[in-house]
Amino acid sequence: MEHHELIHRMKEKAGLVQAVVSTAGDMADVLRYAVEATLRQNGKTIAAPGLDPESRQKLETLCSNAGLTVLNAPLRAHQSQIHTALTGADWAIAETGTLVLDSSSEDLRIATMLSETHVAWIPATRILPDATDLSTYLIEKMKSPPGYMSFITGASRTADIERVLAIGVHGPQELHILIVEENPS
Amino acid sequence: MIQTAQDMKTYKARIKTALGNQFLRTALDNFASAYKVSRAKAFEGIDLDALKDQIAEGKDQALTQLESLFHQFKARAEAAGAIVHLAATAQQANEIIAKIGRDNGVKTIVKSKSMTAEETHLNDHLEAVGFNVTETDLGEWIIQLRHEGPSHMVMPAIHLSRQQVGTLFGDVTKKPVDLEDIDLMVKVARKELRPVFLAADMGVSGANMAIAETGTLGIISNEGNARLTTTLPRVHVALVGLEKLVPDLSAALRIIKVLPKNATGQALTSYVTWITGAVECAASATGKKILHIVFLDNGRLELARDPVFSEALRCIRCGACSNVCPVYGKVGGHTLGHVYIGAIGLILTYFYHGKDNARAIVRNCLNCQACKSVCPVNIDLPYLIKKVYANILKDEGAKPAKNTVLSAVMKNRRLFHTLLKMASTLQKPLVQKDAGVLRHLPFIFGKAHDFRTLPALAEKPFRDLWPDIRPQIRNPAYRVALFGGCVVDFVSPEQALSLVRLLSAYNVQMEYPMGQSCCGLPAMMMAEEETAAEVAAQNLEVLDSEHYDYIIVLCASCGSHLKEGYARLLADKPELAEKLRILHDKLIDFSSFMVNILKIAPGDFIQNQTRVAYHSPCHLCRGLGVTREPRELLQTAGLYYAPCKDEDVCCGFGGSYSLEFPEISSEILRQKLDHVENTGAEVLVTDCPGCVLQLRGGMDKRNSRIQVRHISEVVADNMKNP
Repeated sequence: MEHHELIHRMKEKAGLVQAVVSTAGDMADVLRYAVEATLRQNGKTIAAPGLDPESRQKLETLCSNAGLTVLNAPLRAHQSQIHTALTGADWAIAETGTLVLDSSSEDLRIATMLSETHVAWIPATRILPDATDLSTYLIEKMKSPPGYMSFITGASRTADIERVLAIGVHGPQELHILIVEENPS
Repeated sequence: MIQTAQDMKTYKARIKTALGNQFLRTALDNFASAYKVSRAKAFEGIDLDALKDQIAEGKDQALTQLESLFHQFKARAEAAGAIVHLAATAQQANEIIAKIGRDNGVKTIVKSKSMTAEETHLNDHLEAVGFNVTETDLGEWIIQLRHEGPSHMVMPAIHLSRQQVGTLFGDVTKKPVDLEDIDLMVKVARKELRPVFLAADMGVSGANMAIAETGTLGIISNEGNARLTTTLPRVHVALVGLEKLVPDLSAALRIIKVLPKNATGQALTSYVTWITGAVECAASATGKKILHIVFLDNGRLELARDPVFSEALRCIRCGACSNVCPVYGKVGGHTLGHVYIGAIGLILTYFYHGKDNARAIVRNCLNCQACKSVCPVNIDLPYLIKKVYANILKDEGAKPAKNTVLSAVMKNRRLFHTLLKMASTLQKPLVQKDAGVLRHLPFIFGKAHDFRTLPALAEKPFRDLWPDIRPQIRNPAYRVALFGGCVVDFVSPEQALSLVRLLSAYNVQMEYPMGQSCCGLPAMMMAEEETAAEVAAQNLEVLDSEHYDYIIVLCASCGSHLKEGYARLLADKPELAEKLRILHDKLIDFSSFMVNILKIAPGDFIQNQTRVAYHSPCHLCRGLGVTREPRELLQTAGLYYAPCKDEDVCCGFGGSYSLEFPEISSEILRQKLDHVENTGAEVLVTDCPGCVLQLRGGMDKRNSRIQVRHISEVVADNMKNP
């Protein structure tokens, strides 16, 4: 499948499961997006486990200007205070609009499970057509345990009462996906 | 506490109560309609049949090596820091899990949804020994609070209304809850359960797949509770049925590709979690998760070795067999199941929860084949249900008198046909002249049977008419034999007479082999397999298929039984294999013969465009896989085909089913007739005499102007040169 087709499919399928999908030019866009989304929802905190030091520094600056707090590890100490989780995804599966996150880090799990809103970025080049394309990667991961791998498709949901779809049960109530299309250089 | 009826009298009372629950019926009905649409959409562009075969084959192979897969899994998972147990029984599994709790100083437990834990009644056990257990899946939490079992394997609380849930939540939180606002109720659960998650010492989950190659658990969920259950507490116990073992990741990915789509029409669940070994966990003293994986045998290893029943272990718990079951749609999961629900539940209950719990529910199957056709792993559910019934009859020694009588009569064609002819004479005082129906039901029928008029037996069966009317065709285009079946022969010979007219007009020589008897399906339905096999062998002999171009059936039920059932019944007689193959190849239903073989043209028919609705018989559309031909035939024969909702849903006849469960049969029929009336059709057409009997009897009872006719009759009547 063509590159732009994959991106298009990813957007379409993730949109069908109520994920909010946008594109970003670079990490600076991603950080700004997370801060703005948090402010818009009257959130106070961002947890960003696994963020590279340079971006982390930038995020701290953006947040302090905006009156937000970037939560420090270990996140178990803040488990009732996480508004936004900001994480990368390792891969995406266009067929179902799914993000794949190696969640072996406990902080990553806590952030993506206990937050109200999860903002995840994925490089456009890491979108694959379907799950079988991930087999090699997954098997490799599974063969170097311990490991906790997550497929995330849309926000947490239920239809347990009268089959009416309701979003946001025990996991994040919103999932935002930012597809990062690096500017050609 | 789940209490399943253990005798028919109690069961009938339960059915009556369930049928009185209007909310349940509406909810299940809406779901059944929506499910079909979303499932079809979810599988668009996917070769589902190929995928089903692949998964079934993979599962079968895994089932032959469950023990070695278990050892492989154990070695891998333990190398990654897990502790793997094998529990022989449900009790043992519960005790192992309770001991893990005690050994780790656990007081509170959160659980994510697990049918296996329902199977072992784990909560009851853990609570009895002093643990505080909270279900966290919304539906499971609701039924835990109500002290009920699930009524659907995927949607455990589908039997409850928002008002019931809202009232319950109000009682639990001691705060008023808006009884209409489902979103807010979901938020109540989020808010109430979050602190429970955060405080829990142990999480108990199930698993959808256990990958032997890597010792990995695969868990799917939508709400996110399985992720929290497996992450926050310091101890994680996964309770997994042995049949969830798959050799490798690709087998697991195939299951994921099918399971959510087939369960609810969802492309993929919100979360798929793959856990390999003990990951980091700051709440544990060692910094590592304390991970125990308890595999449950509880009869599975023995079942896996069973030549007939092992395929039940292919089940991936998608619940689709309930979604499409017309009986489930009327009475719900608390009445059609024990712990496991729907078609697969009728089977597994016998093996996991004993014959007492299976005894009554296993009889509640129409044999409509809807479950079989929707099953993602090709389990022949209706067949296995009958086999379970046969096992129970065998276990209990004494058979119902009707089984003994039926067997004795059916094995002897002359006796059977003599009795039918005697009955035709005896019924005379009950018959309404001209109408051909019984105006009074014989005394053996109770009031519950009064939902349809029963037809009278024909004054002269087709076999007695045949010698005088047999046409002699010179240079026939084809030579065919009719397999009539009991209903055509003794109740509705006019359907066969229509066929005779049509075949003569198209230059086809027809024969009616006089030695033919009942196809034997009624014996199968009553779990009298030996009788069915004996009758099958007799029919196979007298039909003499090699002498005809085709064997035509007017009855889809006979047809599918002759085509597929006979081969299975007579599989142990290699000397009959060739005859069976010929019968299989030459057997054809009426519509397919007219459309595909005779290739009839509109010019031969009066194009009066009478508005007709069509009912697609279970054993035609699913049994024989014929769907296009009858609809095309109606239009070629000059009729206006008005599509009807749920054309392929059973009419509720099911042969002896409608006599055993008239209350349910009549409800299924009522809905079918309502749909037909909504089409504005003048005639309802179908191609199975059993369906005609049920549908016509129902229309007559409601004094409807809609006629019910066999497709052979309406086609013959529209011929230009009869």
